[in-house]
Amino acid sequence: MKKIVCLVLAVAALGSLGLAKTKIVIAGRDGGYGQVLELAARLYMADHPDVEIELLKLPYASLYEKLVIDLAEGIGAYDVVMLDDTWATEFMSQGWLADLEGLGYTPDPDFVDNALAVGRYPYPDGALYALPHVGNVELFAYRRDLFEKYGLPHPPRSWLEVLGAAALIEEYEPEVSGVVFRGRKGNPIVTGFLPIFWAFGGRIVEDGQAKVASPAGVAALKFFLALKDYAPEGVEVYDSSEVKDALLAGDVAIAIEVWPGWVPALDDPAQSKVVGLVDIIPAPGLVEESSPMIGIWLLGVSSASQNKQAALDFIEFTTSAEIQRKLTLELGHPPTRHSVYSDPEVVANYRWFPAQLAAMDSAVPRPRVPVWSEIEGVLGDYLQLALVGEMSPEDALRAAQARIQEILER
Amino acid sequence: MRTTRPWHERYFHFILLLPALIILLFLTVYPLANVFRLSFYEYNYLRGAPRFVGLANYGRLFSDRFFVDGIRNTFVFSISATALEVLLGLGLAVLFNRQFRGRKLLLPLVIFPMMLSTMVVCAIWRSMYHYDYGIINHFLSNFTPIVNWFRGVFGLAPVAGIKVRWLFDPDLALWSVVLVDLWQYTPMAFLILLAGLQSIPKDLYEAARVDGAGGVSLFRYVTLPLLRKHLFLALLLRSIDTFKIFDKVYALTGGGPGSATETISFYIYREGFKYFNMGRASAAAVVMFLAVAVVTVFYIRQVLRGENA
Repeated sequence: MKKIVCLVLAVAALGSLGLAKTKIVIAGRDGGYGQVLELAARLYMADHPDVEIELLKLPYASLYEKLVIDLAEGIGAYDVVMLDDTWATEFMSQGWLADLEGLGYTPDPDFVDNALAVGRYPYPDGALYALPHVGNVELFAYRRDLFEKYGLPHPPRSWLEVLGAAALIEEYEPEVSGVVFRGRKGNPIVTGFLPIFWAFGGRIVEDGQAKVASPAGVAALKFFLALKDYAPEGVEVYDSSEVKDALLAGDVAIAIEVWPGWVPALDDPAQSKVVGLVDIIPAPGLVEESSPMIGIWLLGVSSASQNKQAALDFIEFTTSAEIQRKLTLELGHPPTRHSVYSDPEVVANYRWFPAQLAAMDSAVPRPRVPVWSEIEGVLGDYLQLALVGEMSPEDALRAAQARIQEILER
Repeated sequence: MRTTRPWHERYFHFILLLPALIILLFLTVYPLANVFRLSFYEYNYLRGAPRFVGLANYGRLFSDRFFVDGIRNTFVFSISATALEVLLGLGLAVLFNRQFRGRKLLLPLVIFPMMLSTMVVCAIWRSMYHYDYGIINHFLSNFTPIVNWFRGVFGLAPVAGIKVRWLFDPDLALWSVVLVDLWQYTPMAFLILLAGLQSIPKDLYEAARVDGAGGVSLFRYVTLPLLRKHLFLALLLRSIDTFKIFDKVYALTGGGPGSATETISFYIYREGFKYFNMGRASAAAVVMFLAVAVVTVFYIRQVLRGENA
């Protein structure tokens, strides 16, 4: 009897060993990004029955806090981490992410260069720590019908043309505001301002020194404030949802900042009053060429992960051309590969993809400094003080520059 | 002959208290002491070890306009929201202390806002406050002809429509946040005060009436003195809660426009959890702790004085 019991236990133990699955824990975003990762995880598990994936869908701020604490303490609770490219320099410089080439990965030239570069440290050609997953880039939207009605040159090539068009449309279309942007303090206003700031030749940090208050920076801020005259009342507290609502309702002629994540809504008759009337282009230029802001979401492997190879395999799978194409066609996922952007079926579904690829090719990343989050907060505070008229553009940028310099020297 | 009890009997009550004391030590005393210690260090959680800087963090705080504005806004918000909530709560409590038709139906409706999540409340109010599409401005625009008639009387040009810049007028934004807090938390003061009113013996009113007291005298000389403890409790709880104002600012204005709705809690959140400047966040937290402690001690002394009188 004893022998039989021992035999059963041994068989059960061996069986459990044979059936033991490798478990990967992913710390990812909620919302649409979460849906994309969920589909990728389902496809991966169907291909790899020996792997179990636990996906955590977290809001932006919560994901950042959880990642910082886990990675800084080397806890290793997450194997795959999804990170905003503005966090990447911090994470990579601290050694919190595994070197992917060290794990045996060979970079694929199919990735858009600008998207791949933000996953490298030092930027742009150091070691590769993360692969580009979401091809987010700032786009520019304008009402083609109104531009044609008033004989305005389109698409607008320079920011001066944008200002002229906004003024003219505002004057002759009483129900339509000339332009809309995100004016809420913090990240929103900085994101709205940067394509203009860069196009005017402004730089936030150059050679380790804060430079926002340069003549180019001041000129850009004055221009931004001039645009406000043609923006809807209350633009000072506008965030993405308000910009989106105004554009979808046909209440604005130009949105200086729209994102691939919600652009498809413009052509959805259930949501939009301007189906087929809005053209999407890369942001105009001025002193500099078009300088849209890139906002890539990356996938990396935690240095403290116990399953680095499995985690890398999942990332390679998710960012592969075949899976990206599937994610794009099924969920509108913004890709990061040339081959997906040029796929005829994809382009037939998403008419703005050629413009999106052009925007990614000319895009500018936010400064590759480990303290960007704080710099962005400070800049956002002072830009808003200028926007609400509490400070002059010169004073606001001088104050922001002093604070940014202090952060850089700390 | 004097008998000596064994030590475990003499100290039995201390032994019973020990688990609670240990928990208090680790969950309250240690974090407080650590926050106080960290406030003297330059310490970013992401970069490097703490560096002792003495009072420099406090100096920086008071030279930062966002913190100074945050202190001012926190006091304005806390004092005005607390006073108005307790006043409105008292009015409602007096009303609901009487029997009237529909009382049972209205009571749950009055306390309903308090049961909602603050984020839901803010989402509702954010859409109601919207300048162009908000229901409040839509309602106010119905009064445009009346306002224009008055403007005409005074020789002023007519306005196209009455629209209020609820969340983006720097002079109004904080009061818009106060209004949301009033809507959500007046019921809390109301419930405390209603409980207080219902605990007052009816025969005191009858005796006062026999002595010739009218409605106002009854309220002034019977209700208010006997409601004193409940009033202070409502004031204390609402003061502490409103002093910590964070969620409504986060969801409604993000601290803007400019620094019009910055508060101490919002400042601490940004420094501590967005930038991970734990030293500065700790210094701001110590300032807030001291302010709340002063308010709490004041209220508790008032309540105790009432009890000892």
